[in-house]
Amino acid sequence: MDMRLVAAVLAAVIVAASTACSPGQRVDLGQDAGHLIAAISGEPDQLDPQKTSAYFSFEVLENVFDTLVEPDADLTMRPALAESWETSPDQLVWTFRLRPGVTFHDGSPFTAADVVYSYRRIIDEKLTNSDKFSAVTDVSAVDDHTVRITLARPTPNLLTNLGGFKGMAIVSRRNVEDGSIATHPVGTGPFAFAGQKSGDSITLRANAQYWDGGPRVPGVTFRFISEPSTALSALQAGEIDWTDAVPAQRVTQLRNDDSLRLAVTPSNDYWYLALNQARPPWNDVRVRQAVAYAIDRPSIVQATSYGTAQANQLAIPEGNPWFVPYDRYRQDIDRAKDLLRQSGTAPATMDLLVTSEYPQTVTAAQVIADNLEPLGITTSIRTVDFATWLDEQNNGNFDMLMMGWLGNIDPDDFYYAQHHTNGTSNAQKFSDPRVDRLLDAGRTETDPQARKDDYAEAATLIADEVSYIFLYNPAVIQAWSPDLTGYDARRDKAIRFRGAALDAEASR
Amino acid sequence: MNILAFLARRLAYSAVVLIGVLIVVFALVHLVPGDPVRIALGTRYTPEAYQALREASGLDQPLVSQFLSYLGHAATGNLGVSFRNGDPVTEVLLERLPATVSLAVVGIVLALLIALPAGIYSALREGRMSDAVVRITSQFGVSVPDFWLGILLVALFSTVLGWLPTSGYRPLFDDPGGWLRHVILPGLTVGLVAGAIMTRYVRSAVLEVAAMGYVRTARSKGLAPRVVTMRHTVRNALVPILTITGIQLATILSGIIVVEVVFAWPGLGRLVFNSVAARDYPVIQGAVLLMAVLFLAVNLLVDVLYAVVDPRIRLS
Repeated sequence: MDMRLVAAVLAAVIVAASTACSPGQRVDLGQDAGHLIAAISGEPDQLDPQKTSAYFSFEVLENVFDTLVEPDADLTMRPALAESWETSPDQLVWTFRLRPGVTFHDGSPFTAADVVYSYRRIIDEKLTNSDKFSAVTDVSAVDDHTVRITLARPTPNLLTNLGGFKGMAIVSRRNVEDGSIATHPVGTGPFAFAGQKSGDSITLRANAQYWDGGPRVPGVTFRFISEPSTALSALQAGEIDWTDAVPAQRVTQLRNDDSLRLAVTPSNDYWYLALNQARPPWNDVRVRQAVAYAIDRPSIVQATSYGTAQANQLAIPEGNPWFVPYDRYRQDIDRAKDLLRQSGTAPATMDLLVTSEYPQTVTAAQVIADNLEPLGITTSIRTVDFATWLDEQNNGNFDMLMMGWLGNIDPDDFYYAQHHTNGTSNAQKFSDPRVDRLLDAGRTETDPQARKDDYAEAATLIADEVSYIFLYNPAVIQAWSPDLTGYDARRDKAIRFRGAALDAEASR
Repeated sequence: MNILAFLARRLAYSAVVLIGVLIVVFALVHLVPGDPVRIALGTRYTPEAYQALREASGLDQPLVSQFLSYLGHAATGNLGVSFRNGDPVTEVLLERLPATVSLAVVGIVLALLIALPAGIYSALREGRMSDAVVRITSQFGVSVPDFWLGILLVALFSTVLGWLPTSGYRPLFDDPGGWLRHVILPGLTVGLVAGAIMTRYVRSAVLEVAAMGYVRTARSKGLAPRVVTMRHTVRNALVPILTITGIQLATILSGIIVVEVVFAWPGLGRLVFNSVAARDYPVIQGAVLLMAVLFLAVNLLVDVLYAVVDPRIRLS
């Protein structure tokens, strides 16, 4: 082997590669020229909006499907596929008037029958979102453009249930019945599904007939880039226009970077620590409160998010209409020790169940273990994959666990399943008749102020009695190119590109 | 034994190995805790939805009958459908295969381009300063984490110099230029690490042969050093070099998840990783089966090449 030959070949490869492209060039795929290119951090598991529970799917499907109503920037519901609605005096019958002239991406018209079909599918197939219809007794088409929903009890948050996220999307019957919705979804949204490359990308093209006006870009390509530093490099190199894979430790530095736009918006998500009250000593509220007093939230926020998150002792963040100020559990080790003494609890080793799927739980667990040590509680951190985590949670096989809830809007979403005695997600086995009564009342209370008071009281009780130890609300962190206009980061993390435009001159 | 009989026998062995692999994989994926149905439902779980999905996916059947029906279908090329989206597993694997093969081939070629000259050079200068430089450099290459190397290469060639794209993949036959641009950085990451490992093997293989009597004879009868090196030394060192190349290639083919993640490369490694996280049994089984096939194919190829480079080796 001749060294000179090797060197020549290597040089030729490098030269060929480097002359084949110019700095910052973005790679056009022919028909995808001019597309907005967005990098999301993972591949959607499937594209049936009513069946998926993956955020990656919803990032794409937000742009493909519509709901009857949808959250605006303040998360209040505004008309979407329904133009208007009215409620019967007893609050039990809601009549929705549908937008005329809307078509699915395959050209078929959108009618009341599609709404009835979509909702009946969720209810009859007992899909995961069927709890949104727990009060609904009937969904029927009055005529082609009118849908009537009948309820067993007044449901003040019905609009949020119907439009809070694209899991309640109106789907096409044909698309479902020919079995293609999971891989080739057909919706009424601003963009139509065009194709998917396994492990690489999903391409959408603009729906010029969109009822809210056709998009200003010819299409959107969602690339799957799970490594945040790669996504950021791709953004800086001009290969992509938008990403939410931004490393939190780079936020401070990126704030001063004029070459990109950065959004750090408080989200409605929250992370919590739960104590299994079916196991001693957590059945004693004083022991639970002792833990709540021992937790150092600012350190957890710093460790998990480099300070981009917001510490919170309740679930709902400041700035949200349902926010309740609450400040009982500032870290106070003496107080925690007192409570523990009163309860007569002996030092013990407790396991803390976390998952590598959500690295923030692993990081926070270390801070929590450190916080509990002065109380004589030795924390054994159990890090498992998410599948195992779910199994262990459902079997009640844990002393403590850390997890988050994502994408909630209405306070009923925040509290009922988690803290009602019969709640489906009450893995920590919390039970308090006052909380149950308030959460039940909130489900039917139609007076907004009274409903708000119910939830404020319930939230306070939940924290006082330590059903969850609420930790913090993470921020929505997104970055995009200055050429991308008409886009804003939303606190519900819905990624809406319908109004987005690319300044073609500057970007190419 | 002629080559056809050899191939027939090896293929029969391979089928037995594959069934063994399938049994182990099937048992493993079902023994690992974690319920695919529970994961598919995510946080919005209800007992009714759970039961309905479990029946629809056939997971309520006994394990043995699940396995037998899987084997029957697999024999006809039908590897079932993904739990997550109903995609046929065979199609998904075939879509991912070209990316994996591209990266593996480019990686191993670059590794050879590094390891052969560096290893031979270092062996011929054993004990000298230049040998030490090669050995230390290759030790560094072996120790360097590939994700870190990948990120550095992106920082240099994409962010600073702007020569190459940061990430992504283009199919070779749709867009050859795009394929080349996209494959260089991940290929280099794979090739540098594999090349560093292989350099050490090449060096010791060459050293071993160089100590043989016939090399000394060749030298003493006055052959040019280059002829001694190429014809007598390297030629005879090719068998162990072939072995390590085969092992490296098979390793790369069975997925280099970290490199795939850094470069958003749509290969088999990430597919398996995501499928394990979701307990998507059909995809895991199909992908492992495919990797086993690739592994066996590489081994077979290496065995055939042994006979080519060294006529003393008989195929049997």
